[in-house]
Amino acid sequence: MLVELMALVKKELQQTFADKRIVAVLVVLPVIQIIVLGFAVHLEVDNVPTLVADEDHTPQSREFVAGLLAGDAFTRVGALPHGEDALGALQRGEASLVAVIPPGFAQHLTRGEPAAVQFLVDGTDSNRAIVAQNAAVSYAIGQSLQQMRARVAALAQQRGQPVALHTLRVEPRVLYNPQLVSALFYVPGVAASLLFIVTFIITAMGLAREKETGTLEQILVTPLTSATLILGKTLPYAGIGLVVLGLVVAAGAWIFGVPVRGSLLLIFGAGALYLLAVLGSGLLVSAAVQNQQQALMMGFFLLLPALLLSGFMTPVENMPAWLQPLTMLNPVRHFVEIMRAVLLKSATAADVASQLLALALLGLAMFGAASWVVRRRLA
Amino acid sequence: MSAAPAIEARALAKRFGTNRAVDALDFAVQAGELYGLVGPDGAGKTTTLRLLAGLVTADGGEVHLQGQPTGKRSAAVREAIGYMPQQYSLYGDLSIEENLSFFGKLFGLNRADYRERERRLLEVTRLGPFRDRRADALSGGMYKKLALACALLHRPRVLLLDEPTNGVDPVSRRELWDLLYEFVHDGMAVVLATPYMDEASRCHRVGLLHHGRKIAEGEPAALVRNFPHSTFAIEAADRDAALAMLQQRPEVIALSPQGAGLRVVVSGAEHAAFTSWAALVGGLQLAAVAPDFEDVFLGLEALADASSGVA
Repeated sequence: MLVELMALVKKELQQTFADKRIVAVLVVLPVIQIIVLGFAVHLEVDNVPTLVADEDHTPQSREFVAGLLAGDAFTRVGALPHGEDALGALQRGEASLVAVIPPGFAQHLTRGEPAAVQFLVDGTDSNRAIVAQNAAVSYAIGQSLQQMRARVAALAQQRGQPVALHTLRVEPRVLYNPQLVSALFYVPGVAASLLFIVTFIITAMGLAREKETGTLEQILVTPLTSATLILGKTLPYAGIGLVVLGLVVAAGAWIFGVPVRGSLLLIFGAGALYLLAVLGSGLLVSAAVQNQQQALMMGFFLLLPALLLSGFMTPVENMPAWLQPLTMLNPVRHFVEIMRAVLLKSATAADVASQLLALALLGLAMFGAASWVVRRRLA
Repeated sequence: MSAAPAIEARALAKRFGTNRAVDALDFAVQAGELYGLVGPDGAGKTTTLRLLAGLVTADGGEVHLQGQPTGKRSAAVREAIGYMPQQYSLYGDLSIEENLSFFGKLFGLNRADYRERERRLLEVTRLGPFRDRRADALSGGMYKKLALACALLHRPRVLLLDEPTNGVDPVSRRELWDLLYEFVHDGMAVVLATPYMDEASRCHRVGLLHHGRKIAEGEPAALVRNFPHSTFAIEAADRDAALAMLQQRPEVIALSPQGAGLRVVVSGAEHAAFTSWAALVGGLQLAAVAPDFEDVFLGLEALADASSGVA
């Protein structure tokens, strides 16, 4: 049993490393991908292209606009003479936000009357629209508050006695990722998904290749047991997967400063459970298909939902209620949660016990199903 | 026969959908015998070998090894049988030595046994000098010899060969046959599938397969000797016209082109009727010839078609 297993593992590794393209896919590609994804995927929204339609032409209106554009959030790309032009400008994609200040803005303010300002936001990129809208609105609220303070101070002077103005003061403090760097959010997720891509597709293609080249026939007339065959087909890739995991965590730490606050041992332990589930599903696919091309197609077909329903891009909580329980069956989801929790929040095994348990159960189920299918269909 | 056959098929049957690939097939091969499963592509040869090797489950019937029934993928089958598939079945990206060593380990050979057998197999196949060459860089003949070596590593008592000389040059082909005769001489039972009549005639015994059924069995020479029908070589000025005419004749069982002329198998009972018809028509030069193995096969196949086609 052991001799046969070692022979299989040795052969898999020989074949894998004899093919330079596979080595590139296995090791170089993940690191390149994590770098590209880490740099390209930004959740932060800043420098929103902004057009200003100042119809008031007063020092007050100019001051309001200057304040709006002062931070990183908005970048002025031009001015419009009239507010009516705003829709056309948004339509042509000249800006994502148009601030319209109607005539009489300053007059209303000096008289102490409500003054209106209009923000038009391009909603086609919903994330950007929400962030831009929030930034604009909170700026406007800040401005209103300043106006109120000024009026209260004036009132106090008039009455000769202080007038108290009680407002709520909100002081948000962001933990674990204080600068809200999106790389810190993404890199652990990217690591989980890369591991999925690399090991799932390679395993799915493994048995399919033996079928395609006819070597499976020759293997099946030997006394090899199906258990040995399954182990021999997955152990090498589990090993490679853990190496890739190490490389990706290292790349994340060095390049993006993703901290490794929790235990590395826990990361790799969870990684092993995750690989059990992923390799099991890869094996399941490879037992079902006839050739490598089918395996590849099937792999990509399953890849997209597995990644999108993992919470690696968008939170699971934002998904429809009926869909959320289904994501519990997705190993990527659990591993992404573990990676984020352990790397950023130094979570312990006890903190992520439910995810670890889910991975273990999924792993056993997938692997069990794969073994059953391989035994039935091949051996 | 006193001893139980080395391998025996009893009423073996396998269907793929509505296609009966193998249909109630019976045959037995003794130790030291070279048995040919002969038939055109699609006759069920490969499926039969796969059934014998335990790679597919039979829909009916049994395979017996030395008188013992076997199950699919049973340990006894895998210990006793060596199988060489028709298509490529080795790792093209591994060398001769790596392939041998891999299969040696899968067969559970210990190091000393493996070394000894590897040396001996490389010697008889004369692959020794190429041991580091990748399998996909080997010529057709060398590849087959390597596949044969891999199938022989565990010293099987029964060797199943699926069109072993397909894509092999004539010299290597003769070498392969010499090797086979050697193994058979040493007591191995060999079942060989082939569509080639010249190869079939080199087997000790053959079973003619047609649509998954055995339509005849015996020593090739005896099959020819006992063939009850007549064969004619026919020359005609207008071969196409002659062909059209002959196809209409009820006496003609099988018809094939031969050189510039035609070769026909005529029902033995209607031999006289046929010659007088030919004389009447004129323009046909008839020469009665001794049937060869190919005539026998074509004749039997056409007769089997005729009897099943009407039904």
